[in-house]
Amino acid sequence: MIEWSDTEIAIRDAIRDFVEKEVRPHVDALESGEMLPYPIIRKLFSTFGIDAMALDGFKKAIEKERAGAGEAEEPTSEPSAGGGDESMQLLLSMELCKANMGLTAAMGVSLGLSAGTIMSRGTIEQKERWVPDLLTFNKVGAWAITEPNSGSDAFGGMTTTVRAKGDGYLLNGEKTFITNGPYADTVVVYAKLDDGTDLDKRRRPVLTFVLDSGLDGFTQSKPFKKMGIHSSPTGQLFFSDVYLDADRLLGDPNGAGAQDGRASARANFVTERVGIAAMSLGVIEECLRLCIDYAKTRELWGQRIGDFQLIQLKLANMEVARINVENMVMRTVEQRRAGKTPTLAEASAMKYYASQAATEVAMEAVQLFGGNGYMTEYRVEQLARDAKSLMIYAGSNEVQITHIARDLLS
Amino acid sequence: MNIVVCVKQVPDTWAEKRLSDSDKTVDREGVEGVMNELDEYAVEEALRIKEAGGDGTVTVLTMGPDKAVETIRKALSMGADQAVHVVDDALHGSDALATSNALAKALGTIEYDLVILGVESTDARMSVIPAMLAERTGAAQLTFARKVEVSGTTVKIERQTDTGYDVVEASTPAIVSVVEKINEPRYPSFKGIMAAKKKPLTTLTIADAGVDGGSVGLAGSGTEVAEFAARPPKQAGQIVKDEGDGGAKLAEFLASQKLV
Ligand SMILES: Cc1cc2nc3c(=O)[nH]c(=O)nc-3n(C[C@H](O)[C@H](O)[C@H](O)COP(=O)(O)OP(=O)(O)OC[C@H]3O[C@@H](n4cnc5c(N)ncnc54)[C@H](O)[C@@H]3O)c2cc1C
Repeated sequence: MIEWSDTEIAIRDAIRDFVEKEVRPHVDALESGEMLPYPIIRKLFSTFGIDAMALDGFKKAIEKERAGAGEAEEPTSEPSAGGGDESMQLLLSMELCKANMGLTAAMGVSLGLSAGTIMSRGTIEQKERWVPDLLTFNKVGAWAITEPNSGSDAFGGMTTTVRAKGDGYLLNGEKTFITNGPYADTVVVYAKLDDGTDLDKRRRPVLTFVLDSGLDGFTQSKPFKKMGIHSSPTGQLFFSDVYLDADRLLGDPNGAGAQDGRASARANFVTERVGIAAMSLGVIEECLRLCIDYAKTRELWGQRIGDFQLIQLKLANMEVARINVENMVMRTVEQRRAGKTPTLAEASAMKYYASQAATEVAMEAVQLFGGNGYMTEYRVEQLARDAKSLMIYAGSNEVQITHIARDLLS
Repeated sequence: MNIVVCVKQVPDTWAEKRLSDSDKTVDREGVEGVMNELDEYAVEEALRIKEAGGDGTVTVLTMGPDKAVETIRKALSMGADQAVHVVDDALHGSDALATSNALAKALGTIEYDLVILGVESTDARMSVIPAMLAERTGAAQLTFARKVEVSGTTVKIERQTDTGYDVVEASTPAIVSVVEKINEPRYPSFKGIMAAKKKPLTTLTIADAGVDGGSVGLAGSGTEVAEFAARPPKQAGQIVKDEGDGGAKLAEFLASQKLV
């Protein structure tokens, strides 16, 4: 596959139209925090029927699982939350990132990570309890693994713990840098099981729970101030003796899945990393579009700056980045169509390369625009601040490198 | 109620438009084509009338080159049921007179009660096709509608005027042209976009539509572009400094430009 199909282009154009009319006019309000991202995401979903399609897909997946129940104890391994065609989601991420990456982050975490984890690990009852509202964005989801002292070393260093209490569990600890944390209704939380044995803390089992906002002892902080993706609220979660009924433990308590939060988190890695490549492509395409226009219209010494070779070098480097990242994204779309999935090492390589390329391109875009580039009005400074986040979350780029190397050297 | 919506693919509204040197027609190569904006309102109105009535079909009618099929797809993805595309090299260069002739003939191949179109296209801006179509088909002419109400075989519109509106009523078949005020066009849903490709699309040559080759194209047109020139570059504006007489000076300027 070398390019999008007619239908995909029509979808892309429709999204562009929406972004032009419904997102761009609100970018300042979204960035200042005056406006939350959720109403726009909801409008996006209802406008294009994404919610209805996702619910349809959800119903079918549940029916299929019911029909297959009995013989297949394994939970469905389908990582997608039923949001439809993969390429549609990639196009959505790309196009939203051009105007406002925070929207993609808020949407992606709620659907991909929060609903995605419940969908791939939960029991039928748990899916029916939490997933439909997340798919329609009636409810906002968060996914919490990172802690103040454990990010890259999330599982080993995790200090949030659960202990058995009555028929359920008692949760204590805190999480940080949680996308949608301040406003989430449904939160997937990872915690270490403290069962009183003297097993090394680093090796204790990690369990996955689903919390609703408002539970006793569960506090959600205000949003952090941060460098970019301002429209995506990021915050802390605090758990102080939060009592969790047993049915909040994700998965069949007697199945293997429930004891293995590590695998549940890792299951998201490939999809998430491919998603980052698509977001990067959005940033690169937008920077290139803005820069070409500026290079043609800004005149100095009686000629357009596009005639200067140093400006041409910047444009050429951006084009190289665009072609590379586009090829990576297209390759995965084609793989998925053939029923294949990129390996973890491949997805990590894409995430590593694409996020760095997007950040470099966006910084060069600021440079190409000169003083205007440093001014908010010209939007490239926002793209640069937003792009930088791609190198940190979904596994920092240094961690991606370790995943690639581990695979190469194994 | 069966409704036909006429839509046209035009060069992107924001793109720089050119006439080709050889035959002085709009250069459609190399510029992105989009659905004429007002036609989106026409499609929306047709869909609303159909949805309110609960039955009938909405057929998209386009005359244009192969590429115009993109615009047809857009209308289908918004929810229209089927489409007719009149495409023939002989149509190239048709003016309003010739276009209305071909469209009227194509309409003859479709069953309809109502034809809805935008009041003008952004490339030619003649605004005469609706009236010409009414004349050629013998249907009632309801133009510049900012509101349309259908009950049974009666169509009532509010016709936008400079000072307000007139209420005009006719019975079907009728040709209705709509202004931007009429509604807020919907976005196509993703499902609609995916379904559009599978909807019936009939392609007609001029022979299929029963159009005489001599009555369309450059040769069959009643008007001709004699000459054209690029728009002169923007002049520097005139700055009025307010020294107590700013208001008077502004009024003078506006009067001198015949703007007041
Ligand atoms: C905007 C934003 C949104 C986020 N959203 C979420 C969310 O929704 N849910 C969630 O759980 N988390 C979220 N995170 C957290 C994110 O996943 C972590 O910040 C990230 O994994 C890095 O962890 P850390 O911040 O603890 O950095 P650290 O792990 O402390 O890393 C510090 C530095 O050391 C490097 N490093 C770490 N390990 C190695 C190694 N083995 N070799 C070489 N270098 C290494 C890192 O790359 C980094 O440069 C978010 C973060 C941000 C910025």
